[in-house]
Amino acid sequence: MVIRVKNLVKRYGNLVALDHLSLDVKEGEIFGLLGPNGSGKTTAINCILSLLKFDKGDIEVFNKPMTPESYDTKRDIGIVMQNVAVYKELTVYENIDYFCGLYVPDKVKRKQLVDEAIQFVGLEDYVKFQPKKLSGGLLRRLNIACGIAHKPKLIILDEPTVAVDPQSRNKILEGILELNRQGATIVYTSHYMEEVEQICSRILIIDKGKAIASGTKEELKNMITIGEKITLQTYGLTPEQISAAGNLPNVLSAEYNGSNLVIKSTKGKNNLESVLDFAKQEGIQFGTIYSELPTLNDVFLEITGKELRD
Amino acid sequence: MFVHIFRYRLKCLFKDKVTIFWTMIFPLVLATFFQLALANIGNNERFSPIEVAVVNDENYNNNQIFKTVLNEVSTGEERIFNLQTVTLENAARLLQDGEIAGYMVAETPVRLVVSKSGLRQNIIKIFLDRFMQTSSAAMAVRAQDFDSIGKEVLEEVSISKAEPNIHLNYFYSLIAMACFYGSLFGLREVMEIQADNSSIAARINIAPTHKLKAFIYSMCASFFIHIVELLILLIYLILVLKVDFGARIGYVLLTTIIGSIAGVSFGAIVSALIKKKEGLKIAILITFSMVCSFLAGMMMHSIKYSVSENVPILSYLNPVNLLTDALYSLHFFDSLSRYWLNMALLTMFILVFWFGTYFIVRRRKYASI
Ligand SMILES: Nc1ncnc2c1ncn2[C@@H]1O[C@H](COP(=O)(O)OP(=O)(O)O)[C@@H](O)[C@H]1O
Ligand SMILES: [Mg+2]
Repeated sequence: MVIRVKNLVKRYGNLVALDHLSLDVKEGEIFGLLGPNGSGKTTAINCILSLLKFDKGDIEVFNKPMTPESYDTKRDIGIVMQNVAVYKELTVYENIDYFCGLYVPDKVKRKQLVDEAIQFVGLEDYVKFQPKKLSGGLLRRLNIACGIAHKPKLIILDEPTVAVDPQSRNKILEGILELNRQGATIVYTSHYMEEVEQICSRILIIDKGKAIASGTKEELKNMITIGEKITLQTYGLTPEQISAAGNLPNVLSAEYNGSNLVIKSTKGKNNLESVLDFAKQEGIQFGTIYSELPTLNDVFLEITGKELRD
Repeated sequence: MFVHIFRYRLKCLFKDKVTIFWTMIFPLVLATFFQLALANIGNNERFSPIEVAVVNDENYNNNQIFKTVLNEVSTGEERIFNLQTVTLENAARLLQDGEIAGYMVAETPVRLVVSKSGLRQNIIKIFLDRFMQTSSAAMAVRAQDFDSIGKEVLEEVSISKAEPNIHLNYFYSLIAMACFYGSLFGLREVMEIQADNSSIAARINIAPTHKLKAFIYSMCASFFIHIVELLILLIYLILVLKVDFGARIGYVLLTTIIGSIAGVSFGAIVSALIKKKEGLKIAILITFSMVCSFLAGMMMHSIKYSVSENVPILSYLNPVNLLTDALYSLHFFDSLSRYWLNMALLTMFILVFWFGTYFIVRRRKYASI
């Protein structure tokens, strides 16, 4: 096990930031920690890294208890913090070289690692730039390069895509997949469910410091009753028609807002077909119709009763 | 690891424009202003004659030599005294009203009556001592010699430590202030090693580097840069502004280095103690350095004396004053005992700062980030 956290409790005064949180990260996986802002993701990461004191719980990294003095363990960890942490006076190259040098004393080896990291995040054209001359996305990439240049076995990324343009965001997500292919275990925190769905092999959803669900994205979606969501764009439905739609086989709910009829149903093969039949039978004219599989947002919504997005 | 951290730390600090401004540019500019302002004050002070009186009695009128010499140094452009010849009662009254610095009674030896001690009283004393020596050595004092006595006294007064006293003190407290502006370096060092102060520090705490070692290595870079800055300030004072620090330049250097270490360490402990925003820490440090420099006599040298007369403990607890006083005593006293007392106190301050910082910085886990 790469990370094992058991019953972690962390309080800030009266606020319980982590409430008996447990999690396991296995070697080679991309582990997603998904939760809204303020749910305790950063707090959990800081506890795992032994930066924060906590009230209760056990933390092991690479099967050893984690302490501030676990230098051998730390050597194998790369961390990309939520806040950009670079020296404003040093150039892109110097920043990466400085942080890499805290892990790799050998100069020749380090030069190669730094060059690779620069290439990896695509900052070749900016090596002599100071951070203030970089755009938000490039700055994030520099922040990532500083965290991973020493080729760690475990990489923890805390919301690396916040306030990043779509181009940089894709580059970052692809990069994470590439690091994983090269053998690194990844812990990825985010409040964007699309990203987590896109890259993570296993996901833990947390809210208010508590774990509320975990598993692969398929497993998570199986946990909830909604299997399919069909949206029909149409005008002027009568209340009778709406309640008739709600009574179709497999349908859990039918909601109408004046222009869209949203029908949620359990899993099944013929849901779309039966809705189409129903429309024909009732003589309902519609513009578009589409079917969606549930998202992690639906999972979150069903378990907590609120939306994941802020 | 030392070389790696030290080298990059130097790069960072050299390019930190705000800190470089306060720790080097500002003292240089201030020194230049001082020099310009003091040049004028100096000229005025040097040539203002001292109000004195002599008691017009039988002894005085019989002592022709004294009478002639005294009148000689009290006339002309470069006279030392504005002399009044009065009765004993009048002399006492003038003294009491503060109209004169002192009065003389022509006994053997000539008696000087003053109501307090000070620069002007000293000059009268020097004049009288001179007169006594000369008149007892040469059996017959000739009229031509009077003039030279007057000049000598005048010369002695201007090269005597009394006159530059006022000037140098400004530069001493300037140096001391520059030392304490080094606290900005210490402040930054702590900010960048305490994970609850900055994300950079968090990153360093996560690295497999011993935290205290990393801290000490980068503190070394701060000491180094600050000492170099102070050397530049000293060189500028000596070579460009032609401030004369006397023969004990080696001690001046030592004092400056100790001062730099005290300043940087002071910044470190303040930064470690105050868990607030960087802006507030900087404000506290600059204010503290300014107030201490003020009390040590940077704006008005008389402040220094009134502090040491009225609240002596404060002058020992003010590290900036310890520094100015160390420099001052190097220049004005042959014996080094007062100098070493100041340095010992300063070293104690440094040790207190170091231990305090150590006990705060050595903690490696934080309650809140
Ligand atoms: N230093 C702190 N002091 C007090 N409360 C904090 C502190 N840091 C975080 N919190 C609180 O703890 C909770 C979890 O915060 P955080 O771990 O930053 O969440 P996330 O990273 O998921 O956005 C939030 O309610 C936040 O307000
Ligand atoms: Mg966070």
